[in-house]
Amino acid sequence: MNFFERMQSLDRRWIYIVVALAIIIPLMIPYNSDNVTSPSTENLYQMIDSFAGREDRAILLSFMHDASTMPELYPMEIAIIRHCFERNIKVFALTFLTSGAPIIDYAFNSVKEEYPDIKSGVDYCNFGYKPQAMAVVLGMGDNIANTINTDAEGRKLESLPIMKGITNYNEMNLVVEFSGSTPGTYWIFYARPKFGVNVALGVTAVMAADQYPYLQSGQLIGMLTGLKGAAEYEKLVDVFAAYRDPAIDYSVKTDAEGNKILPGRPFGKEVLNDESTKKLINITTQTKAEFTPAEYTAFVAKYPKQKAIFEQLKEAQNGTIIIDVTKITPELRNQMGETAYREINRLTYNINYKFKVARIGMNAQSVAHIMIIVFILLGNIGYFIQKAKSVEK
Amino acid sequence: MSFELISNLVAAFLTLCIFSFLYKENPFYRMAEQLLVGVSLGYALVFTYERIFIPYVWQPIILKHNFVLILPSILGILYLFRFSRKLGWLSRYPIAFSMMGVGFGVPMGIHAGILVQMRQAMVPLENINLILILIGTIAVLLYFFFSKAHTGAYGKFVGLGKWYMMIGFGASFGLTVMARISLLIGRIQFLIIDVLGLMK
Repeated sequence: MNFFERMQSLDRRWIYIVVALAIIIPLMIPYNSDNVTSPSTENLYQMIDSFAGREDRAILLSFMHDASTMPELYPMEIAIIRHCFERNIKVFALTFLTSGAPIIDYAFNSVKEEYPDIKSGVDYCNFGYKPQAMAVVLGMGDNIANTINTDAEGRKLESLPIMKGITNYNEMNLVVEFSGSTPGTYWIFYARPKFGVNVALGVTAVMAADQYPYLQSGQLIGMLTGLKGAAEYEKLVDVFAAYRDPAIDYSVKTDAEGNKILPGRPFGKEVLNDESTKKLINITTQTKAEFTPAEYTAFVAKYPKQKAIFEQLKEAQNGTIIIDVTKITPELRNQMGETAYREINRLTYNINYKFKVARIGMNAQSVAHIMIIVFILLGNIGYFIQKAKSVEK
Repeated sequence: MSFELISNLVAAFLTLCIFSFLYKENPFYRMAEQLLVGVSLGYALVFTYERIFIPYVWQPIILKHNFVLILPSILGILYLFRFSRKLGWLSRYPIAFSMMGVGFGVPMGIHAGILVQMRQAMVPLENINLILILIGTIAVLLYFFFSKAHTGAYGKFVGLGKWYMMIGFGASFGLTVMARISLLIGRIQFLIIDVLGLMK
């Protein structure tokens, strides 16, 4: 019996073990890899980002899935909510599935842990579970507050600060639905033709092939496809929305000319292709904040009282100035103050685990795909060898 | 022991019970499978009572005296006669009423699913993708036109439709593999990160 014949009669349980190892090893030993972003992800990101800092614009997230599809859809939801929190974008969420309601709470609470200034009813609002999907979808085209009435916490919608400037789909102009079964049906079939609302989807990879025609015909402005789509969106948030210029003081809300100062930076293809962005998307643990001398001077100028602490921590290396956050003791942290500590931590570009979960998953995905291709090739070669032998006999 | 730790341990145990099926069928797998069905049903029942019956039926009728809601409530109750052989016919009334939604969906479905899609297939052929889409659309449509034998030049052209579909199936299969692997990744991430805490 040769190698290929053995492969043909291999017990399937060996294959399961190899698949498990191909996933476990890359998960336990993460490495920095790049995810090339696709136009459908970039379009969705740009559309959401165009609402940044606007009182009269909001997005709606529709959670149409249960726990079974969370590994693919949940990282997308987290990434989009994080984008909204970073860039001051009003975000609403609802579900027409009973099992979707706890997932909304889980997603908002999970992201909110990292954003202590974000408040429910002011920056985001969870409408919760709503029955009668069609009535709700059509009703919101007329008036959102009258249709939804109360949010998941039982508060009257019309009394919430977030509703200021938001009446119907003219303002809540983008709906992103996350689904693993019949994605976007209500929004594409009813809300879009009747009210002109923009629709985008976050779908499981299985469902993606069915949705591409809607993307091609322009009925969807963007689509996130499975774990890959989530990983792409995570990357865009890190490169643009979570980016902080060391020289800008974001605690000041307007500049000298009265223009709003928004955290993050707008999308730009040239930034995405720039070599310097690689340091923003490392999924391995980062502990060092790196500055050019000019950046360091501008950064320290924002914190004159903490200058002595930064001077004590800084190290010069190859013309750059480095501050290692692992050297900040609890005493130094107290002296530094929480705002400065958070900012220096942010400038290390270390990514919280929950915001890179899809990218770590994609590493495992890549290894598993290569392994499956090898299995398919071996299986096919073995099959044709056996077939040739049986013809000879 | 914190609540999070207990819930993670229960979830980890049930995950392993389901994974044990990969070795062979066993009582742990069957227990976890049946538990899933039972818990899902129980959750849906309680949720429906708390989030639908109470706020949309009980409170408006009993507390706010919005008695007009009694009519749709009765219509909804008629669904329950489905279980009766004698009075099962009554359940057809709410079903007939809900057909209104189907009627509303037909024109909207035709608009979004057919008309807009057709319009987008009729755009000027400005790049290679649009040419490929046009050829593919015609070839696949003709492949399912069985009044003419698939022979000669016509047969070769409709055969192209079959190749287009094969490529489509291949893409679907690839995406399915990706989705299934993603689910496995999600579970393994849960086991090694949330339960065992091997990575931060």
